[in-house]
Amino acid sequence: MHYWLLYIDPGSGSYLVQVIVAAALGVAFFFRNIKNSIKAFFTRNSKNTNDNPKD
Amino acid sequence: MSNSFTYHPSSFRDPSGFIFEKEKILYRQVNQSFKEHFDLFISSGFYEKLVKQGLLIPHETINENLTGSSEWYTTLKPEKIEFISYPWEWSFDMLKDAALLTLRLAKEAAAPGMVLKDATPYNIQWQRGRLIFIDSLSFEKYNPEEPWIAYRQFCESFLAPLLLMHYSKNSLQQIMLAYPEGIPLAVAKSLLPWRTKFSLHVYLHIHLHASVAKRKNAASPSKQKFSKQKFLNLISSLEILINKLRLPEQSTAWSAYYEEASQRNDYLEQKEKVIWQWLEKLPGIKTAADLGANDGQFSRMLSVKNIQTIAADFDPYCINKLYNQLKASTEKNIQPLIVDLSNPSPAIGVNNNERSSFIARLHVDLALALALIHHLVIGKNIPFEMIADLFQKTCSTLIIEFVPKEDEKVQLMLANKKDIYPAYTAENFEKAFGKYFRLVKKETIPGSGRTLYLMTRHEG
Repeated sequence: MHYWLLYIDPGSGSYLVQVIVAAALGVAFFFRNIKNSIKAFFTRNSKNTNDNPKD
Repeated sequence: MSNSFTYHPSSFRDPSGFIFEKEKILYRQVNQSFKEHFDLFISSGFYEKLVKQGLLIPHETINENLTGSSEWYTTLKPEKIEFISYPWEWSFDMLKDAALLTLRLAKEAAAPGMVLKDATPYNIQWQRGRLIFIDSLSFEKYNPEEPWIAYRQFCESFLAPLLLMHYSKNSLQQIMLAYPEGIPLAVAKSLLPWRTKFSLHVYLHIHLHASVAKRKNAASPSKQKFSKQKFLNLISSLEILINKLRLPEQSTAWSAYYEEASQRNDYLEQKEKVIWQWLEKLPGIKTAADLGANDGQFSRMLSVKNIQTIAADFDPYCINKLYNQLKASTEKNIQPLIVDLSNPSPAIGVNNNERSSFIARLHVDLALALALIHHLVIGKNIPFEMIADLFQKTCSTLIIEFVPKEDEKVQLMLANKKDIYPAYTAENFEKAFGKYFRLVKKETIPGSGRTLYLMTRHEG
């Protein structure tokens, strides 16, 4: 363990990490949402086709 | 009323208030410094919502300064927890559900503009068949300048042990006993397999977290707004990750025990019949411990009689299975715990007083010790006298099964070890237990050669 770590609240280091993690998650969830909406669009379409075969 | 009270030995870290005992009743004092937060917690209706959902322990407000403290704001009398247990006694899925409950509370707190400031397993307990949050002073007003203050604590005390169990495919309760404040991120990082760096959520919450927290400048970041959305993303990510974690079922020595045992001359049925008859004639039994509970068959029997039962076994897989069965049922009287009777949970923490030992916590009306004694005496070389002493510390009535040396299971145990147990006889067993207990009844289970004893402790 680094010497200076003994003098600071161990929780305080997690501020910076949360900013970084949140930014990374923002990007990850942005793409996941796009992926999910595309998926939902196609599954809805195929569902519609199944439900109303004549449409 | 006098002001004499005792501080609870594990309630000293948080300046918002503390737990104390007065005239054998547990109370929680809320301090002036926490007034603003506590008022919001109540006035926003958040407290009531959580209690209605069964997620938080209900309390009664006592408007009286019972401690005489100048810091006093209000006094709460929380509902009594039947039996306090610790994460090193919880099975994998129980810890996982406790983690998910913590995240749910953190998420729900955002709606009334609050934040969950502690994320430790000690704030969660098993009460009447479900996990419940017990610290009503853990919610404070949300500050948009601050990220989730309990993030690191959550990662160290919930996420790290769950990940280690998941990736090692082992139930590692003992590691939480070694790190009661959570497994340091650097330790968790070095113990996890290298490939976990390629899992987005594990990488962010453990690997990156450990590396960034180590940096010198990480301690004094420039303040910027940490939006609610960012916070919710953080919680979602942890939820996604934890939901994926599993402890693979292992076929342990015990998991098939009852299936196999049941084939032996209706042995279990006969045993159940005898115990049932005895229970009928035992008035006033409200609490019990089924020690060596295995899959909980006999705990269920006690539960039918509305006896609050601790089902303890040293096999973490059995207890995990039992936990999942209880969770899926409406059963309210059984608490499944992982306890090795040859090494029960010790007292740890500040002054060795913060978390008490299993034996110190266990005071029950009845203890069941079925097909257990040979595992302790022959399996672990513990003399009868010490086992009798263990039981007399915990229960006033004891139902214990003696398994003779001729029994095929004992012979199996002796097959690979030297028979250094000439003292293992029913006579010596009765003598050792007779020091603390009075023999009330004794009945041989037909066809098995095993004997059930009903004993009551000598009082005074």
